[in-house]
Amino acid sequence: MKKRAIGEAGWLYTGFAAVVGFIYFFPVLFIILTAFRSRSDTLATPPKWFFTPTFENFYHIFFRSMSNSTEYVATGFHVYFFNSIYISGMSVLLALIIGTLAAYGFSRHPLRGNDTYLFIILTTRMLPPIIVIVPIFLIFRITGLAGTYTGIILMYTAFNLPFSIWMMKSFFDELNTEIEDASRMDGASERSVFFGVCIPQVYAGLAATSVFALILTWNEFLFSLLLTNKLTRTMPPAMARTIGGEINVDYGLLAAMICLFIIPIFLITYLLQNQLLRGVTFGTIKK
Amino acid sequence: MSTIELHNLTKAFGELIAVNDVSLKVEENEVLCLLGPSGCGKTTTLRMVAGLEVATSGDILIANKNVNNLDTRDRNLAMAFQFYALYPSLTVAENLANPLHAENLSTEEVRKKIFEIADILQLRDIINRKPHQLAEGEKQRVAVGRAIIRDPECFLFDEPLSRLDVQLREQMRGQIKEVLSNLKKATVIVTHDQLEALTMATKIAVMRDGFIEQVSSPHDIFAKPNNTFVAGFIGTPQMNILDCKISNANSSVVKINTLGQEIEIDFQSQLDLNVNDDYYLGIRPRSFEIVNDNSSDSFSGQVDLIENMGAEVLIHIKINESTFRSVQNKSHQIKIGETINLKPKKGQVHLFNKEGKVIRNE
Repeated sequence: MKKRAIGEAGWLYTGFAAVVGFIYFFPVLFIILTAFRSRSDTLATPPKWFFTPTFENFYHIFFRSMSNSTEYVATGFHVYFFNSIYISGMSVLLALIIGTLAAYGFSRHPLRGNDTYLFIILTTRMLPPIIVIVPIFLIFRITGLAGTYTGIILMYTAFNLPFSIWMMKSFFDELNTEIEDASRMDGASERSVFFGVCIPQVYAGLAATSVFALILTWNEFLFSLLLTNKLTRTMPPAMARTIGGEINVDYGLLAAMICLFIIPIFLITYLLQNQLLRGVTFGTIKK
Repeated sequence: MSTIELHNLTKAFGELIAVNDVSLKVEENEVLCLLGPSGCGKTTTLRMVAGLEVATSGDILIANKNVNNLDTRDRNLAMAFQFYALYPSLTVAENLANPLHAENLSTEEVRKKIFEIADILQLRDIINRKPHQLAEGEKQRVAVGRAIIRDPECFLFDEPLSRLDVQLREQMRGQIKEVLSNLKKATVIVTHDQLEALTMATKIAVMRDGFIEQVSSPHDIFAKPNNTFVAGFIGTPQMNILDCKISNANSSVVKINTLGQEIEIDFQSQLDLNVNDDYYLGIRPRSFEIVNDNSSDSFSGQVDLIENMGAEVLIHIKINESTFRSVQNKSHQIKIGETINLKPKKGQVHLFNKEGKVIRNE
């Protein structure tokens, strides 16, 4: 493919794209700005575009005066932050490991009725999660998984698996199996064919799958709300709880939380974006 | 002893029988070409020899040892793949070195071997490039290099030249033939290109629908086809296969009724034929000579179409609404519409029975 010079599209199209881009980015920008506004600036109508930035909202995330007192106490919010990272990290990792192995199996050693199994795997994603929440809640209560890290990590792993399997299978399907056969001829065992030949060729797929799975898990609200307790709660329900404040909603505080909340996912997506692009366009470009 | 033997090898994919009761033997220093149309089971046969596919039944012997239950890596074979199968992230040198990992050689020995192979296949200049920076012909040479760098029991090639353009193919054909003749090992080449088979092989096995149709030397497979399939498959332009009836077979000269004409053909020995039975008459387009007079041993027909083939022309001759083809030298200056007399050359006429099997006195 010929590399186009930057700016070849011309000013008109670039300007148009900039406007559309700005419309998309505007809500994010507004939240970032709100996070740095003081409480009075936040509620001003019309919104104040020029203001003195303040970090008080960020401070309030972790230290806040409770009702009827002027004393600032630690809110323990860092725990939720850690929970989010730990729980999504672990579940994405697990889903990636199991999903990749399963996908390799589905791709290279098809079962009788392979497609049926793949379809069944996907059916779990066809219904809204709210439908299964009652039985799951009961199962978690009975097994004692409710409120534990193990419980929610397993839940999210199961939640991410169908997607990981399908995505990784499509990557394995695209590979030239001759290369695997060639390495068998060269004396490679099945284990080294998988780890030494197949895996290095699907790095882009692993990156794309993990980012998408991470975004899904990171933003998940419902299961976390119902299946975690005070100690294992993740960021989304924790943030939601601050909305139900006793006086009114502290939008500045919420915006500051969101700012912190998007940083990890933003960083990971940014770091993996080259892989991600290759990942989502995989197979669409003729080899 | 580097030999490959297949005994009653069969491979079924569900209902489909891809390879059906195939028995073959490849001697040391012999190059066997498995030749056949797409989907005839030749690649499956090769993959079973390599151990990449498990046989449904039958035995595979490599160097007189049964390898049915051996893994690919324990069979000590080398194989070059159709799509080259080079590791995309490794350089040419690293690709070449890969088969040597299992041999526990010193770095110096590996280096020496790489350069040795690089010299044979003229890869010196591109030794540090990655596969995506190579031209098709170069990739193909690396694939061959990777197969021959080790000293395996036998060599297997899966359509090694199918992805090259015509010129390169011609060039590589010679090169590979030369390399193979120096290796002195049992070699199996899979191809659907008859020219490739006829030039590179010392023995050709023609396959169709999982069966071996004929195993012979390149010359015999062309000159003495066992059946109408082999006769039609080998040789370009294709052999003319005409419906015919025998009207007299009392001596070695047989009177044959075909295309509404009666023609006498001398088979040089008495054949076992039944008068008035249906047979097929097979004559290659190049096995006709133009004669001036229409006699009892020649066809007479009208030129219907002329295809230019360079030094030669392919003429379509029409006799009683049927056509057959003949290749003639351009110097004859044949014109469309002209009536010509064509005499089949002695010893180049084949008779097949209704089942397509050849009738011949060996």
